[in-house]
Amino acid sequence: MIQQVTTTESDQTLDAPIAPADHLVGKSCRRVDGQEKVTGAALYGADLFPNSAELFASVVRSEHAHANIVSIDATQALEVAGILGVYTHADVGGTNIHGLIRRDHPALASKRVRYFGDSIAVVVAKTERAAKLGRDKVAVTYEPLPVIATMEQAIAEGACKLYPEGNVMGDKRIRKGDVERALADSHVVVSDTFFTQTVDHAFLDIEAGTGHWDGQVLTLYVAGQWVHEERRLIALALGLPVEQIRIIQPVTGGAFGGREDISIQIYLGLAALKHQGKTIALRYTRSESMRARHKRHALKIESTFGANADGMLTAAKIVVYSDEGAYASTGIAVMRKAASHATGPYCVPNVEVDVYGVHTNNNPTGAMRGFGACQMAIAYEGMMDRVARALDMDRETFRRKNLIQSGDTVTTGQRIDPVSVGLCLTKAIQKFKDQPYPGSDHLPAHIKRGWGMSAICFGLGYGDGFPDCSRARVELSDSGIATVYTGGVEVGQGLLNAMMQIAGEELGLPFESMRIVAADTELTDESGSSSATRQTYFTGNAVRMAASELREQVLDIAGIKLKVHPHEITLQHGWAYETSNSNNRVRMEKICTEGLTRGYSLKATALFKPRTIVEIPNTGQSPRAFITYLFGAHVSQVLVNIETGEVKVERHIAAHDVGKAVNPQSVEGQIVGGVAQGLGMALMEEVTYRDGRIMNPGLTDYIIPTIKDLPPVEAIIVEHDDPGGPFGAHGVGEPPLIGAVPAILSAIYDATGKAPCELPMSPERTWRLINEVCENDPLSKVF
Amino acid sequence: MPDPTPMEIPTMQVACDVNGESFTRDIPVDMPLLEFLRDVLGLTGTKGACLEGECGSCTVLVDGETINSCLMLAAQVNNRSVTTIEGLAAGTELDVIQDSFVATGAAQCGYCTPGLIMSARALLNDQPDISESELLTALEGNICRCTGYASIIEAVKRAHRESQNA
Amino acid sequence: MFHQPMTFEHALDLRSELGTDATVINGGTDVVVAMNHGAIKPTTFIDVSRIKALRGIEKQNGHLIMGAGVTFADLGKMHFRALREASLSVGGPAIRNMGTIGGNIATASPAGDGCVALLAMNAEVQLSSKARGDRWMPLVDYFIDYRKTALADDELIKAVRVHNNPRSRWYKIGKRGAVNISLVCCAISQNENNKTELAFGCVGPIPKVAPKASALLTGETLTPELIDDVANLVTHEVAPIDDQRGTATYRRAMCSTLTKRLLTQLMEDAPKGDADA
Repeated sequence: MIQQVTTTESDQTLDAPIAPADHLVGKSCRRVDGQEKVTGAALYGADLFPNSAELFASVVRSEHAHANIVSIDATQALEVAGILGVYTHADVGGTNIHGLIRRDHPALASKRVRYFGDSIAVVVAKTERAAKLGRDKVAVTYEPLPVIATMEQAIAEGACKLYPEGNVMGDKRIRKGDVERALADSHVVVSDTFFTQTVDHAFLDIEAGTGHWDGQVLTLYVAGQWVHEERRLIALALGLPVEQIRIIQPVTGGAFGGREDISIQIYLGLAALKHQGKTIALRYTRSESMRARHKRHALKIESTFGANADGMLTAAKIVVYSDEGAYASTGIAVMRKAASHATGPYCVPNVEVDVYGVHTNNNPTGAMRGFGACQMAIAYEGMMDRVARALDMDRETFRRKNLIQSGDTVTTGQRIDPVSVGLCLTKAIQKFKDQPYPGSDHLPAHIKRGWGMSAICFGLGYGDGFPDCSRARVELSDSGIATVYTGGVEVGQGLLNAMMQIAGEELGLPFESMRIVAADTELTDESGSSSATRQTYFTGNAVRMAASELREQVLDIAGIKLKVHPHEITLQHGWAYETSNSNNRVRMEKICTEGLTRGYSLKATALFKPRTIVEIPNTGQSPRAFITYLFGAHVSQVLVNIETGEVKVERHIAAHDVGKAVNPQSVEGQIVGGVAQGLGMALMEEVTYRDGRIMNPGLTDYIIPTIKDLPPVEAIIVEHDDPGGPFGAHGVGEPPLIGAVPAILSAIYDATGKAPCELPMSPERTWRLINEVCENDPLSKVF
Repeated sequence: MPDPTPMEIPTMQVACDVNGESFTRDIPVDMPLLEFLRDVLGLTGTKGACLEGECGSCTVLVDGETINSCLMLAAQVNNRSVTTIEGLAAGTELDVIQDSFVATGAAQCGYCTPGLIMSARALLNDQPDISESELLTALEGNICRCTGYASIIEAVKRAHRESQNA
Repeated sequence: MFHQPMTFEHALDLRSELGTDATVINGGTDVVVAMNHGAIKPTTFIDVSRIKALRGIEKQNGHLIMGAGVTFADLGKMHFRALREASLSVGGPAIRNMGTIGGNIATASPAGDGCVALLAMNAEVQLSSKARGDRWMPLVDYFIDYRKTALADDELIKAVRVHNNPRSRWYKIGKRGAVNISLVCCAISQNENNKTELAFGCVGPIPKVAPKASALLTGETLTPELIDDVANLVTHEVAPIDDQRGTATYRRAMCSTLTKRLLTQLMEDAPKGDADA
């Protein structure tokens, strides 16, 4: 019956003209998750509780930054009404260890705690109140150890060792040319030291989720950034085969790298295994979230740059100390990224970079938007301003002399083509100069205006030979609906739309005919992490490849129906028609029905796995350290109150080469949002520690930008097809933040005549910079 | 949510109107309105993110005024009326602000979205004319970590235009 | 128990009966934050938010009297510039719809913006008890030490009053463009007799006045030289500390900077005969 109705309908519309080609790539289709998000219907982790939570878990955390555990006594906790169990390391069936690159982080500490957030036990109770009360009654006896609060303490002679092999986690170097000689021969040599701060992701959707074990499968509804890798880590820690774990990503309220490390998954899994048949719920408070989670690395960057009298850079010597905190997390990748981005998009013939990762008893530090690359941009762009001034040369001219051009190499020796950083800088500065800011020119004497710029590059993907691939599956149904299956997670960035639009473009389908299933380890194949600005490029390519294979099936079937060669067929807006005679046409539904009848699968899967080449350990050189490079340039204009140190960003322009904007609205959202986080990092955000304890574990004192802090941000989308990307697209997630911070600092330098080197430039730090007040430094000392 | 206490928490009966529907429930006296809406009534559209009144994710209207539901006790809304994000759309017909948030891409991760929409709703309820600075002030208590606010400002302006034209 | 008195008299009865066993709550913007942090775990409440009499603002004998339940949103519409701007600098609109001036005074945080503005305006606070009735006291005497006040265990804050017509100025340094906790804030007011008061937030355990600086200004016409002297003097009258929000060095310097800036504004605006609006 239904079949007939469909046929009649399509016959009736046969005479109607086919809707014009609806190019989904390049179109700002309404977000597929928009409706549920604006009505409150979207279910984030904690939103699952009212309908599913049967038992509640809570986590016992260390009260010391560094201590041996003498004993864990649950007697009193177990006496609390409603408490069903208290579980420690002894109850964990597997390795009890997690860690993204190096497995070093105990899920539940057994002998030793290394930071204030370290977890010790999981309490399960009938109510959340009882679980928390029980948590507070678990008696842990500690033998305190010396707290390593700063990197300086960590590397001091005789320092207490966090690990038997010492407190230096690792190092990473670049060696190119002869730096000492080049510096000796330089016309100017400029040195400065930069201190970047510890930053929290502060995504709004606090860690929360549910776990359920039915005796066969452990099902976890928890937001992560790479569900398949998380499944592996959980399996190892709990001693379950991966086949018996299913992770389903709930709607996710931001990530920014903050969901890359394991958070609540293992606790929920352990509790569920102990309470078969019951759904366990666990959520953090904001303070627990901040206390438990990894942070962005604080870096001390000692930079020396030389240039000749013509303004050409001659050499760079850079030493970086990175606060790795208590556990490795993604620290090794961050060190690599810092090294390979140490001189940014500039030609520097002689380079020496040494990056040292140092363990402390601060929170572990790991992934956050633009890791490593972001901190280094603050240093190299800061140095461009300083060297230009030393040469008495205009900042833009100096940069342009040294920016890489198509075919040039970056620090790692990788040749890049095409290079669009100069184009981005031109567009940003042109906009700045052509459309002057409407603000008043008559400023009171204590208000100074300044503007600054930045030019940045970013190697996309994991790089450095690390396995990096995405899989995708696309299926067509009887009704002509195409469904994309991807393991990639939507965390707000717009992945769902991007993948649907890429597949729809390839299949000539309208957006309304597209569906997507994402981030369910049971239903989707692995697509790597939503990080490293990689999803559009990697999963986008896999989706396009799968859709392209499916397209071939569709063309074959359409060829049979239309009695023409598949090459003569156009797919457009849900129709297939003979390119030279659009009246000879057939709808996608009919093609699909016909195809399924004829035994076509109407399914296709694809793997996209480009290879990068591991860097030579002693020199950091690689012909292909990263799969592709992204470029951007920013201009920022600020007002500085020189009496109080308050800084107001008046205007900010961000130009980014995104290859091709799959969904321009999403791309603009990423650019403006990245600038906002960059503004926060430049001016206000800072996790402060005292002896390893976070002093501001909440949004009252961890300050992030409000609507009144953002100027109108002007996003310039530069489209310079990436030959390797789907429809020329590459990605945009991280570069906007990376570009924003140094541009704002550059503007402060311009306004005050003083070069900032500590972050964030809070009112007090800006005032200190202007007045050269050094004593009683407010910096939370992790250095 | 409040930490547990060793004492039994006294309960009380609260009767209130939420999104036009009357509810009477026995609840602990120390229960924040946010928890009441989410965990007792199952209205999870209202979000909690800081529980300090700093982020605005939990914004709802009580008798037409915006408040942070993480800082009001449920007991305090006895005999009052509450409007949450679930109360804005009429069936499948979106409120003009909701529609605008989708149209301008103002909901990225979407977690701040319900709170922002409620703040915008209060602004548009009150004022026929809205200056740029009034708009910014009305939304200053709502933190968004994703968008950089540009698309949100655009959404509220669009909604205002559309409701003027309606 | 949750008590929700509809009259102030009933509230006083409850307060007298329950004393410190009950937590007085109005907007909840301090009380519930502390509850959410687990810092307090009250089980008995006196909710004074339904008492209409506490929401009134009236003029009386050259004074403006504000009920303790007047919200920051209400104060944000007032013509006293310092009080208006201080109130509008508190939180976002939802917080201002909830938070009250009485709550700000009760909490007695050194960062209490409303308290600082009121101190500069020589405000008096009215405390009431069932046993002893009402008493007015200068707000400056009300603050004793860190979060310690003159409020007795059976008393409630009923109202606060200021002289009707001061000229006043306000400035708060925070880390961002809105929803700021003060790093330092300063309020200055001047009455028709040229009596000038200064008050500061976040420069010691309580909201702080600067009597020596005020004395130096009394009866004098503002000149740049006098302003410089006063700005120097205030640095000796404040006792800020280092904390994670900022250092004593910066705060002390800012007291001087803000004093100078706000007094200069008063001086420059004086010929305009400005109404405070």
